[in-house]
Amino acid sequence: MITRRYLLSFAALSALMPLSVRAQSADKAAAFIKSTGDQLVAVVNGPGSASAKRVQMTKILDADVDVEGIGRFCLGRYWRQATPEQQKQYLSVFHEVLVTNITAKLGEYQGVTFTMGRSRPQDEEAVVSTTVVRPNNPPAAVDWIVANPSTAPKIIDVVAEGTSLRLTQRQDYASYLTHNNGKLDALITAMKNQVSQSS
Amino acid sequence: MRSLPCLRLSFFGAPRLLALSALLVLGISGCATKPPADDPEAVADYQQTNDPLEPTNRVFYAVNNGLDTVILRPAALAYRYAVPGVVREGVHNVLSNIGSPVRLANDVLEGKPRRAGDTTMRFLINTTAGLLGIFDVATKWGYPAHDSDFGMTLALWGVPEGPFLFLPILGPSDPRDAAGFGADIVLDPFTWIGTGPNRTGWTAFKWSRQGMNAVDSRERVLDAVDQIKKTALDPYATFRSLYRQHRRAQIEDLRKDNRSTVPAWFTSPANASTN
Repeated sequence: MITRRYLLSFAALSALMPLSVRAQSADKAAAFIKSTGDQLVAVVNGPGSASAKRVQMTKILDADVDVEGIGRFCLGRYWRQATPEQQKQYLSVFHEVLVTNITAKLGEYQGVTFTMGRSRPQDEEAVVSTTVVRPNNPPAAVDWIVANPSTAPKIIDVVAEGTSLRLTQRQDYASYLTHNNGKLDALITAMKNQVSQSS
Repeated sequence: MRSLPCLRLSFFGAPRLLALSALLVLGISGCATKPPADDPEAVADYQQTNDPLEPTNRVFYAVNNGLDTVILRPAALAYRYAVPGVVREGVHNVLSNIGSPVRLANDVLEGKPRRAGDTTMRFLINTTAGLLGIFDVATKWGYPAHDSDFGMTLALWGVPEGPFLFLPILGPSDPRDAAGFGADIVLDPFTWIGTGPNRTGWTAFKWSRQGMNAVDSRERVLDAVDQIKKTALDPYATFRSLYRQHRRAQIEDLRKDNRSTVPAWFTSPANASTN
């Protein structure tokens, strides 16, 4: 009888264990996003020239965002069809595109603040909710998806008002590739043009 | 979650005949070419994109984009330049308050009593304490805003989204939302008043409301839309993706909103017996 009860409570405990571990990882993800967010806001609202800010942004991006993972996701099924050389080229220009797009938004985000919302585990990841407030703009609900929250946290997606950044990007690329006979080189060239036009 | 009207680059109230004739045109014009059946991944992509009328949709996207560039965007820029932010916020609140009856009707049709209560309280508070809706006092008093339209109601009732549509003037849509747009006009009490002999005032009111709605929604997304057009390789595909994701998020919020109707201060018999 005692063993049975013991076993039962053990089973109950082990069932609960992953839950509390997951909750902890959500807390860690929240702390991670708070720190990344503070750094981003500091750069956006801080002094410094556009080029200096670009350098700082790149630093934060490389440290806290899984650029390669997002890049692969955005290419979808075309990633597997690409040659290693194409994959390398694509990832490097994708990194440039990401930095350029974020830097282009800096002026628009002047005076930005954010407040932390709740965070919750989702599959292997954690979702951290925030509210981003910009002057002259309605407050926006922004969710940050964090991979490996308890070991090596990295941002893998940003969901603004229900729209996922990486999914939108993936569908943009997919449409471009469909209209260019699935030629990855055409996409890479278009991305390069985009970077050189905006910088 | 506040509405993100970004994806509706539209003149909401502009002649509905145009929209109707557009639907007719849609019936007779081009379709996207299906990928060959021996490429299952391409077929899966095609089905997921669910945009069989893409060539036609792109034509209307180009037309809307042209109209936007010469009319709506300059109007929105002028509005932002001429009118201070605080006043614009007030205008937005008034417009949103005028939309309360339609929202309430949809809250009820969706069977969401707490949402219906929020809408009712918001309308009563903001119309009085908020001086005809200029100030959104209700949000501070615990009655937050939410989105509600007949497209969402249909979704909750189980009507599928259907293929993507890009409608002239109205912008991105799908059959469900296009039907919802029509139903919302019918549900709106302002559609039915001011049809008597002395209607000049009402007509002026209705047209100013629609015009202001268009300029207000466009002004709120000026930066976002400019950014998308600058950074997307295929802006049409990007707007399509954003529109759908945003609608799905709104519907998901609606579906999840099952707040209890018993107010917190009311000790229900069930709670009383356990205390």
